[in-house]
Amino acid sequence: MNKKPIVVAAIIVFLAFFIPFASNNPDGLERVVETFEVTKQAPLWNGIMSDYAIASIGDSYVSTLLAGVAGTFMVLIAGTLLAIALAPQKTKSKK
Amino acid sequence: MHIPDGLIATGQPTSITIAIAMWIVSMAFLAWSWKKAKTTYKRGITALLAITSAFVFAAQMINFPITFGTSGHLVGGTFLAVLLGPYAAMLSMTIVLLMQAFFFADGGILAFGMNVFNMAVIGGLSFFLIKLFTKDPTCNHRRFISSVFVASWLSVIFGALLAALEVSPAFAGGFIVTVPSMLFYYAMIGLGEGTVTALLISSIQRMQPAIMSGLKMLKDGTRL
Repeated sequence: MNKKPIVVAAIIVFLAFFIPFASNNPDGLERVVETFEVTKQAPLWNGIMSDYAIASIGDSYVSTLLAGVAGTFMVLIAGTLLAIALAPQKTKSKK
Repeated sequence: MHIPDGLIATGQPTSITIAIAMWIVSMAFLAWSWKKAKTTYKRGITALLAITSAFVFAAQMINFPITFGTSGHLVGGTFLAVLLGPYAAMLSMTIVLLMQAFFFADGGILAFGMNVFNMAVIGGLSFFLIKLFTKDPTCNHRRFISSVFVASWLSVIFGALLAALEVSPAFAGGFIVTVPSMLFYYAMIGLGEGTVTALLISSIQRMQPAIMSGLKMLKDGTRL
């Protein structure tokens, strides 16, 4: 399937286009937490790019876009590995 | 809808018990879907699985505003289920959630079991709802797309209901306050989910009908 790079490029364009329009408002769950003033515990793990941003990059658009692109590729790799693991052993696809 | 670890009250036995129980339940579902995904595996799903997972990750980054200063984003569970079938969809969504939790701290580690159940397992199971709705042999395109809409709306509602119950120990008011308020917001967010999923599935079906493995399972009666 040669369309893969095209679709991946389309996903990146999708991110580049929509990130500026993405709402910064809290999502439904966060809103409920705020409404009832729940005190949250400290998180166990802060992630590597927490809040979909790369801390060392000042510009928030660039930072979010790069984090998003990095995440997209990581999911792409993990998804490929998953699909390979699911494939029956004997059918080595010959291309 | 990603539950952070901050909402798991470590001091409260109920909260911890729910988190551990959801880990166990989710892992059981994943083991089941792993086994089933292997038996229903279709060649050529590799690229599709990777790409749809990546798309769902990207789509989840884009929050759309709903009313009352609140936003929501596509979950994509039903979308994956129609494209990949229920089992591969659960695994695919789990990968998205794993990356989000590990790299972006979106969704907790203790809460991972809850998030997998609320989004991946429910999303995958919504496939069977579509199967039920479209069982009638006279089912046409419009009915199929309406089923996709309803199933994705319901997948968000069920996910939100479970999330509300799971986080309730952290709230002074308990589930009496979390359930109605979560359902209130997610009933609206779910409309966005339903609309986007129905539009995506409808256009993919028009452009690339061959790639929809999940749809094929619906149509040709693959033993599930």
